[in-house]
Amino acid sequence: MILEGSIRLPFSYAAGVVGSRFLVALRDEQVILGGRCSDCGTVSCPARSMCPECGTHVDDLVEVGPGGTVEAWTEMPGKPAFGLIRLDGADTALIHHLLSGEGKWQPNTRVTARFAPERVGDINDIEGFEEERGAS
Amino acid sequence: MNPIAVIGTGQTKHSKARLDVSQPELIREAASAALQDADIGPDDIDAVVISNMEMFEGRAFPELWAGEGAYAFGKPCVKVATGGTSGTSACIAGFHQAASGEFDTVLVVGFEKHSEGHTQTGMALVDPFWDRAVASGALGNFALSISQYMAERGVTEEHAAQVAVKARRNAANNPNAHLQMPDLTVDDVLASRMLAEPLHLLDMCPQSDGAAAIVVASEETARRRGSQAAWVRAATTRHDQPYLGDLDRRLVTMRALRDAAQAAYTRAGITDPLREFDIAEIYEPASYAELAWYEALGFCKEGEAGRLITEGVTAMDGELPVNPSGGVLSTNPVGASGVIRVAEASAQLLGRAGAHQVAGAATALATGYGVYAWSDVIVMRTEKP
Ligand SMILES: [Zn+2]
Repeated sequence: MILEGSIRLPFSYAAGVVGSRFLVALRDEQVILGGRCSDCGTVSCPARSMCPECGTHVDDLVEVGPGGTVEAWTEMPGKPAFGLIRLDGADTALIHHLLSGEGKWQPNTRVTARFAPERVGDINDIEGFEEERGAS
Repeated sequence: MNPIAVIGTGQTKHSKARLDVSQPELIREAASAALQDADIGPDDIDAVVISNMEMFEGRAFPELWAGEGAYAFGKPCVKVATGGTSGTSACIAGFHQAASGEFDTVLVVGFEKHSEGHTQTGMALVDPFWDRAVASGALGNFALSISQYMAERGVTEEHAAQVAVKARRNAANNPNAHLQMPDLTVDDVLASRMLAEPLHLLDMCPQSDGAAAIVVASEETARRRGSQAAWVRAATTRHDQPYLGDLDRRLVTMRALRDAAQAAYTRAGITDPLREFDIAEIYEPASYAELAWYEALGFCKEGEAGRLITEGVTAMDGELPVNPSGGVLSTNPVGASGVIRVAEASAQLLGRAGAHQVAGAATALATGYGVYAWSDVIVMRTEKP
């Protein structure tokens, strides 16, 4: 005997103090914020309350990007490519979609963020990253 | 830590779907096989550790209902869940319990029944804010680091395919393994469907139903068994940051695995891992992972992983056979996969690995890999500390 079933999982998660500032800046200003650690100086993006390098509480938020470089990428059939993007001014990488470009992405390709016309306060308020105009 | 040893191991037949048994029945299969192998009864077990990723098969609280399969009634029973490292972490928890002196004999059981749930949902529920931008799951997350690793370390698709072939051919000698493909070729791997650039279907581990168990015993109990004990000489764990973008060139540096290995080698007195280990069972979720782990585990210098696989150094008849069982690439019931690594390493030292036995194995390595970079490293010897 096999029992068939499915479960619906609604949720409502608090983004927290720093995460909320990051998401509000995306939505209202089309600005990407990094968190600068007062102890070790690491700028992490997306901005979060704890420094990923040393664990110190982070509350100094600085604008990073919207340009950056592709560090690594992959692509699953039928879906947009995605990559690790190191934004200008940040020391860590952001995981997001790579929107333009056909086939394989070369390391260190310059990209820039494309924002969604309708923004709701979500990481997908950035639609993804496309190759910088004028870049070869 | 007081000396402790593994005195018995047990596994189910692993497969795509074990529709013939319920989850507790699957657990019981491995648990009873381990007790039989250790030549003890359920009453000899003082504590039970269960390893499972509960979101993967849609049943919460396995420590509640899985316990009956693991003879846990009336005994202390805890669940350990740390992603892919769950199984090795549960083994290490069992080691600590027996080494503490509080419990003499501990049963560790890991299981997963992927066919009954939706693994991708479990993965997608990890982070609601940042990871859902791409919601790529385990497959995409792993694939994301490969392009960087290939570029920096000169690894090719052919090197990775050779790892995939070695695993499935080894698995053909392991009756418990899920994927047994004695005739698989590099061309077959390269021609298989692209899942996530550059990972082909056959570069990736399967999702399996299965369970595995080990019996851990105190020095006194293990000593009474003479040579029938696999002594734990070091067991270390390192966790890393939860956001992939924070890890500096993950597969290139693999800092968590490198640190865990260094600490374990120091504790166990290992200075030349390639020569000193007789067999290794390492947790490789993808073909490329095994290559990156060769470097992080010190089997070769950086950039030489491709040479190791091409020259057959890690083949069954090579200097260090890696994953004689077929590894995670051949069998992956996640909660059990780490326990399988320790069970296989132990069975090799006990001389009970059957058709995939490495003759005279006296020093063994088992590792776990979970989430983005979490790592467990376990060194075992036939020689008592
Ligand atoms: Zn810091």
